[in-house]
Amino acid sequence: MSHTPDELGRKIREAQERQKQLFREEKDGAAEDSGISGKGFRAAADLVAAVFVGAVLGYWIDKWLDTSPWGMIIMFFMGFIAGFVNIYRYNTGQYFQVGFPQENEQKDKEEK
Amino acid sequence: MALNPLEQFVVKPLVPLQLGQMDISFTQASLFMMLGVVLATALMTLSMRTKSVVPNRWQNVSEMLYEFIAGMVHDNLGRDGRKFFPLIFTIFMVVLMGNLLGMVPYSFTYTSHIVVTATLAIGVFILMTAVGLAYHGLHFFSIFLPKGLPIFLIPLIVVIEVISYLARPFSLAVRLFVNMVAGHTLLKVFAGFNVVLFGTLLGNTLGILPLLFNVAIIGLEVLIAFIQAYVFAILTCAYLKTVIELH
Repeated sequence: MSHTPDELGRKIREAQERQKQLFREEKDGAAEDSGISGKGFRAAADLVAAVFVGAVLGYWIDKWLDTSPWGMIIMFFMGFIAGFVNIYRYNTGQYFQVGFPQENEQKDKEEK
Repeated sequence: MALNPLEQFVVKPLVPLQLGQMDISFTQASLFMMLGVVLATALMTLSMRTKSVVPNRWQNVSEMLYEFIAGMVHDNLGRDGRKFFPLIFTIFMVVLMGNLLGMVPYSFTYTSHIVVTATLAIGVFILMTAVGLAYHGLHFFSIFLPKGLPIFLIPLIVVIEVISYLARPFSLAVRLFVNMVAGHTLLKVFAGFNVVLFGTLLGNTLGILPLLFNVAIIGLEVLIAFIQAYVFAILTCAYLKTVIELH
């Protein structure tokens, strides 16, 4: 097997390009956690975490302001909402964005 | 006793120690954490001893780990994120070693204890709050207030954002903990089926089924060990990104 230096250079560049693409695809795939069960686990953890944190905050507020049981009830449902907001963000690919991006901002992100 | 699938998570003291009222015994959890640290350090230092241009297998492993995390940090935090690389690499290695050591028979999975994962997650939480405050000062709190919000929605949204911010360390800790506990319990449950089925009449044929299933699950568990370490690291990156960029 003999190659001229030019040929060899071209081959190396091609291989590097392939490698890069492969690596990128792999990373994109891994970002989706592990398929559907990974997604499910993530959503479950996010929802439970938000509800739990909401309930604990409500409990503290009740203790602090002596408003039992209203603080806990309201914060529990707030936690529920926060959990669903998190899942919604995750599923629409906004990931850990805080707030809702304006239309043009989102487009910027997509272009990137 | 041996069929109890949760028995594997019991922390047993190896060297009982008492400090005042506190029990600071050296447990098998401590042992495996130390083992994890020693193995990770050994892997990274010993494999890089030769530093050849054409890497051998071990050097290849540590270079892959390094490049994997370095790429992740660069993608999420950009060039300025390099100062966070040592931290994120350490977190990744600690979690990865915990998960993988747990796959060795008779070993103990320290990442299957919420005390361990919560400590890591709370560390990340304190760090990201401190980084946000250091980068933006008091302006950092605008993270809870999205732009262009109608005034009457502000109280509602701010509460929701605060909850979802405070939920971050919790979901980080719970995700790792739940994955590890679920996987190891599943393995143990099917191993128990195996024992029971071998005792039956058709044991020799039926008993092989849970065994085959367990072989497949072990493969999946090794994958999950990597994925969960990766998820922990990339979520740390992503959380840091949100506090550095704010909106």
